[in-house]
Amino acid sequence: MNTVVCIKQVPDTETLIKIQGAGIVQDGIKWVMNPYDEFAVEEALKKKEELKAGEVTVVSLGPDRAVEAIRTALAMGADTAIHIADAAYAEKADPFATAAALAAAIKGSGKAYDAIFMGKQAIDDDSAQVPVMVAEMLGIPSITMVIKFDVAADKSKATVTREVEGGVAVVEVPLPAVFSAQKGLNEPRYASLPGIMKAKKKPVDVKTAAALGVSDGPKTVVKEMTLPPAREAGKKIAGDDAAAKAKELARILHEDVKIV
Amino acid sequence: MHGSGAEISREVFWNILGPGFPTAQVVLYFIVAGALLMLFRGLVTNGFFTRLKAIWAAQGSESDRLDKPGERFWHAVWDVFLQKKILREPYQGTFHFLILWGFIALTITTAVVFLQADVIWPIWHWWFMKDGFYLGLSLFADVFGFLAIIGILMALYRRYVIKPVWLDEKPEDKTILWFILAILVTGFIVEGLRIQATEANPASPMHPYIWTSPIGRIAGLAFSWMNESGLRSLHMLLWWTHVIGAAVFFVYIAYSKLMHIFLTPVNIFLRNTSDNPAPIRFMPPEMFENAETFGIHKLEEYSWKDLYDSEACVRCGRCVEVCPAFNTDKPLKPRDVIQDIRNYMETKAKFAMDVDGNYRILADEEYTGPALIGDTIDKHTIWACTTCMACVEACPCYITQFPKLIDLRRYMVMMESDFPAEVLDVFKGMENNSNPWSIGAHVRADWAKGHNIPLMSEKGGAEYLFYVGCAGSFDDLNKKVALSIAKLLQLAGVDFAILGTEEGCCGDSAKKIGNEYIYQALAMANIETFKAYGVKQIITMCPHGYNTLKYDYKELGGDFEVFHYTEILDTLIKSGKITLKEPVADLGTMTYHDSCYLGRYNKVYDQPRNILKALNSGAVVEMASNHAKSFCCGAGGGRMWMEEDLGTRINQKRTKEAEAAGAKTVCTACPFCFTMLSDGIKELELSEKLQAFDIAQLVAKAAGIDLKASEGDQEAAG
Repeated sequence: MNTVVCIKQVPDTETLIKIQGAGIVQDGIKWVMNPYDEFAVEEALKKKEELKAGEVTVVSLGPDRAVEAIRTALAMGADTAIHIADAAYAEKADPFATAAALAAAIKGSGKAYDAIFMGKQAIDDDSAQVPVMVAEMLGIPSITMVIKFDVAADKSKATVTREVEGGVAVVEVPLPAVFSAQKGLNEPRYASLPGIMKAKKKPVDVKTAAALGVSDGPKTVVKEMTLPPAREAGKKIAGDDAAAKAKELARILHEDVKIV
Repeated sequence: MHGSGAEISREVFWNILGPGFPTAQVVLYFIVAGALLMLFRGLVTNGFFTRLKAIWAAQGSESDRLDKPGERFWHAVWDVFLQKKILREPYQGTFHFLILWGFIALTITTAVVFLQADVIWPIWHWWFMKDGFYLGLSLFADVFGFLAIIGILMALYRRYVIKPVWLDEKPEDKTILWFILAILVTGFIVEGLRIQATEANPASPMHPYIWTSPIGRIAGLAFSWMNESGLRSLHMLLWWTHVIGAAVFFVYIAYSKLMHIFLTPVNIFLRNTSDNPAPIRFMPPEMFENAETFGIHKLEEYSWKDLYDSEACVRCGRCVEVCPAFNTDKPLKPRDVIQDIRNYMETKAKFAMDVDGNYRILADEEYTGPALIGDTIDKHTIWACTTCMACVEACPCYITQFPKLIDLRRYMVMMESDFPAEVLDVFKGMENNSNPWSIGAHVRADWAKGHNIPLMSEKGGAEYLFYVGCAGSFDDLNKKVALSIAKLLQLAGVDFAILGTEEGCCGDSAKKIGNEYIYQALAMANIETFKAYGVKQIITMCPHGYNTLKYDYKELGGDFEVFHYTEILDTLIKSGKITLKEPVADLGTMTYHDSCYLGRYNKVYDQPRNILKALNSGAVVEMASNHAKSFCCGAGGGRMWMEEDLGTRINQKRTKEAEAAGAKTVCTACPFCFTMLSDGIKELELSEKLQAFDIAQLVAKAAGIDLKASEGDQEAAG
């Protein structure tokens, strides 16, 4: 089974985020592969191993540093990669522009694929739009929030379980299709050392947006970004009389914070 | 034959050699020659030579085991003859000492008699075995023979009555003891019968000296009712029994653990002489560029010394006795790991040797037998180790047990990504944020905010680097310890600085879990930073960092003088630079828990105890296991980050020990130990009776230090 996995390089969840204008300060940030994309890579690798055939191609849009995330996917076991290394385009890209670039790269590569996997959303901008947009642009179906993926022996269709509010739904879809991975789909592997070393030698096809013929700019513009307000220090209700303290707590909840 | 009975000596082969041709003597030579041949045959049939081939074929890198030959030789001599390491366990040590010296004394005596009767007399007709020398020799043999019997009885008592749980039981264990006992007892009876038939006669010139063979004499008295012909018949019968028994025993060496008589002293000679008491195989950084496999997954990847270790093992079980994993019902017995490797050498040889006996190392695809990892050594066993080093410390045969497991972890982790699931986040945390807690690297120095703790980046350099480590930087419980140390150093006027957010994880957990790749990346980043600030001396808070910076960084070119904070505080208190103003309240009886990496690894036993005494805040008692035999908290070897789902919990066992010692306060000098014991107290609901503190906290209190922020800057962490 041939698959394409779209990945994004995002700041580590623990890293210090500072706002500058409508974006974040990029210095000092530790970049990692979007955690949901790890599920996508893992699923593609698992299918390849299960069926003992196929090729896993990784596609990513991002500046030069994004190649680190690509190498991580290659170290996990992906075979080849396309890096749309276009800092200027990536900087301004909204979900539409991102999807356009990814779809163009997938089309342009001429690779035959049975499925496209992506994380259900990137943990930086949380838009969760790219998977469906890519599917639309490629004219194929998309299934989001996938937590179980099975493919028919002839690779004509897939039976997937997706998370819905309060339960699950089992969906059948003809292939090729786009699938967005939700946590629970699998346990992403830790790249072995030989994997890491081999990844250094695996081919990464570097492209620019212009070379892919993507001219449509972003449809949306981020005007402003703010951090959530800092958590305020807790308040301690002093006193020895429990009843009086309870009364005071009730008063604060009613009058000061107005949540009761 | 000599021995007219006219002088103070005895007739060798009395009652055995007939007149004329010395038939018996020739028979004796045949027996000895036969025994030698059988011994050799035993070595062949028992796979000794096969195992030697595996040892010879081993390819793993090994340190120089023949450097300083003189020092090695004399150490081995002293250790073997004075039984220094064996005597650390008084009971086992004593009986082994008695048996060994009985064996040596009787071998010497037999050799002297042989020289006299079979070499010197037949050639030169000179008889030196007489008068004072003979009487002395006779007494010497009797006394040591008797002590050996006592040793054997003690050993039998242990095998049959005491039966420690960690002792394993093979038929040979008891057979050997009964065998030796039979030889000793028949020897004494033979002597007694001869005395009864000859020297007991008042006319014998030996008669006045009859008690220079005290045990033989007593044995003889038991047969005083027999007439001479009875004595002679029985003597002849038992003499041959004794001689043939001794010959068979000699042969039995090759078929049993008695081989240790020859193999173990060699291992003592080959012992690890480096400063690091338990080195893990060095992986040169360039390996990560060009090697194809990492760690060990097949036998021959071990070094010759690793494999030889298992030849030296006598299965005594001291390593099992002290193993925290074994003592909490986990499937690890260091002895069994060593024995499994020994047996696996033969298994592997069956596949690896061709008909001509050539040993060929098989590629993975060619080999179809049981695997080293999984089949021979269970994966749960491999993960159970806390690297506490108790096994290495306890082993009287100088075997290094647990580092062999780290080699296997390395293969599993780096080649197969096969490790407990919960470790994944630890690796990612170390890779992305340089700490196993996976907390953002930018908050590393938040504990120091508002306390005017000097930063290397501001100061440019300092006499000491205070290397805090991840626990002191990220763990709420241990941040207080870091602050206590920093404030104490300030108080004492020590010229120091911290690295702040430039500090990185020391890599100990990664290394011990088997991820040498991450470890080296972390280590090299730190070494580069240290060097950039011209760091020469380092004070560490965590014994794991202490050990890693002190020994492991050297291998990667980072040569620093490293101290643990207890060493520094002890000196500062002694020199009066830190004044302990008043006793710390409510500590009650205190006990000190030795951190493995501080105690066994680095012999820092006294300094923490000195500090506790200097606190003058309560009695200081020892737990049942302390100093070199201290019991691990359960967090070493990366176990800090793994679920403990097999057996019982190590930290609880240790906490109970602290309670049993009658302590109200258990003191630690290691953040992992501090965490584990604090958790143990909570889990066992002992908070009313027992509390845990790090020593630095107590010193800070006694010195009157206020840990609250000293200036307005109170920006919340994170």
